[in-house]
Amino acid sequence: MEAFFHSLTVLLTPSHLLLLIAGVVLGLCVGILPGLGGIVGMTILLPVIYGMDPHNAFALLIGMVAVIPTSDTFPSVMMGIPGSSASQATIMDGYPLARKGEAARALGAAFTASLIGGLIGAAVLTLIIPIARPLVLAFGSPELFMLAVLGMSMVGVLSGNQPIKGIIGAGIGLMLGAIGDAPAVTEYRYTFGIDYLMDGISLVIVGLGLFAFPEIIDLLIKGRPISEKAELGKGWLDGVKDTIRHKFIVLRCAIIGVVIGFIPGLGGSVVDWIAYGHIIQTSKDRELFGKGDIRGVIAPESANNAKEGGGLIPTFLFGIPGSGSMAVFLGGLLILGIQPGPSMVTENVDLLYTAIWSLALANIFGAGLALVLSKPITKLTVVPFSYLAPFMILIITFACYQATYSWGDLIALLLVGILGWLMKQFGWPRPAALIGFVLAGNLEQYLFISVQRYGLGWLTRPGVIIMTVIIIASLSASIVYQKKLKTTGQTAAKG
Amino acid sequence: MARWLTLKNLFSLFLIAWFAYGVWEARSYAYLAKIFPFYISLVLLIFAVISIFIELRTVVDEAEDLHGASSGSDLSVDWDMPMAVVWKRFGFYIGIILGVYVLIYLIGYPLAISLFICLFYRLVAKAKWVASIVAGCAGLGFLALASKVLGMDWPTGLLKLPWPLG
Repeated sequence: MEAFFHSLTVLLTPSHLLLLIAGVVLGLCVGILPGLGGIVGMTILLPVIYGMDPHNAFALLIGMVAVIPTSDTFPSVMMGIPGSSASQATIMDGYPLARKGEAARALGAAFTASLIGGLIGAAVLTLIIPIARPLVLAFGSPELFMLAVLGMSMVGVLSGNQPIKGIIGAGIGLMLGAIGDAPAVTEYRYTFGIDYLMDGISLVIVGLGLFAFPEIIDLLIKGRPISEKAELGKGWLDGVKDTIRHKFIVLRCAIIGVVIGFIPGLGGSVVDWIAYGHIIQTSKDRELFGKGDIRGVIAPESANNAKEGGGLIPTFLFGIPGSGSMAVFLGGLLILGIQPGPSMVTENVDLLYTAIWSLALANIFGAGLALVLSKPITKLTVVPFSYLAPFMILIITFACYQATYSWGDLIALLLVGILGWLMKQFGWPRPAALIGFVLAGNLEQYLFISVQRYGLGWLTRPGVIIMTVIIIASLSASIVYQKKLKTTGQTAAKG
Repeated sequence: MARWLTLKNLFSLFLIAWFAYGVWEARSYAYLAKIFPFYISLVLLIFAVISIFIELRTVVDEAEDLHGASSGSDLSVDWDMPMAVVWKRFGFYIGIILGVYVLIYLIGYPLAISLFICLFYRLVAKAKWVASIVAGCAGLGFLALASKVLGMDWPTGLLKLPWPLG
């Protein structure tokens, strides 16, 4: 409890607050740009946080990732394209509202819902820590290995439309992660004799290559402005009131968001659809959904902010990222020299609380800034993409060069970028690949520690057996569930 | 359509080749360095072979479903133009980026990228010259600021220029 409030006082010092607000502003920008979400935003920040104090770095990183589900609402509502994958369902009713001249009402409701959802996410994260503590401390290397496998298998199965492609997608990440020096012995793998590859490929390059590069190229190919018109209309307060009136929807969807954020693999892109499907199924009067029902905006927006709180739980406590952006966050932790897992509930518990407070404060600042700055931000959505693209190319090439300060960075970015674009075209899930890449190192380490310490006997440890059963059960269950989800999503999209 | 499906299959074949190489190459590694990549690529190879068979068998369904194909956790790819145009434009923009790389190699990063921004504004985005030059200078200013404040670095070119140009 003492650490809980101590972290707040640390966070309220000017330098922390400034970094948090810097993160929030950056998150607002990244969220508004279509296609760019938390993964790209976080990746760009990775070179910046090298050598930073962890508390400061957390303020920056979490400040940014927490507000993307808030700001990505702008393009969804204003022009019907998602600002990031977490707000696709918001379009269903947000865009019709904007066309009726009620964009301000939709945005007002969305920001209020985002704010409350985000706070609920932070609250749940706080409550989980003391409960999860004994469980986390009971885990050894074999269990952590199986947990990582569980995480990967779920990510693979749930993040694509074909389970097998999802698993191979995660495998692509593992193979990229295996390039370079082996963790256990002196051996350089898959380097083709190229010096640059001996240290492995940096996360910055994989993140930007798989996500930013293909999005920039695609938007250039499409070549249309972000938004045709930018009229907000009136009704800010109505939107806020709508959300307060529907407080139980907010509460229910926020809880859905936390739970789904917690499950590896479900993360970002489905949480909004699940919340949207839930609200349609539980409403008696459904005629207005899809035509501009404010509840259709409130539900996904409260869920997608809450999921960040849920997603931080497995990332911090077990080192298993629930989504692509959490995978980059995990990479950021490793850069800062923090090993997620048991140490997070013992010596690093103050960092955990810093993360929670950052999450809560960022949601408040984010929603506030989005409301205050909505007019200029809306104007930003009419800027044609070809004006933004060269600057985005500048940012990604500049950021990737910070990885090792060599030409190899630029060449690797181009090659991984082309790989990412092809994966996107042919339907291979990129988030799974990113998570695989980040987990590759840990996974291998857990594996060889297990093999060295227990021989093949590690396979018979009760924790491992239980986990194997869970993996098999969850794999079969998720395949069935996904089929169901697809149908719900399609009905939701139609109706 | 046929060409599109072939390209899709080619990518799957590339994955098979990659994983097969992964297995082949890993055989010679020391035991502790070997277990992870060897078994991972072996399992992936098996999955990739199964996957390409599924892919070839479901060609018909896929063709119908092509436009919504990668919904799920990615933003879906939804082209409102023929695939031939998409590939042509893809090649065009990759070509531009390669051109920028060559320019960086010759004259260094800051000047090359600023020139690129300026020319892209003028020629691709069809902005006025004034706006294009302002945009180029803004890029240069951003780089100078980032290198001063955040201590970041950039590639220098064959041509050595004074800071912040090279």
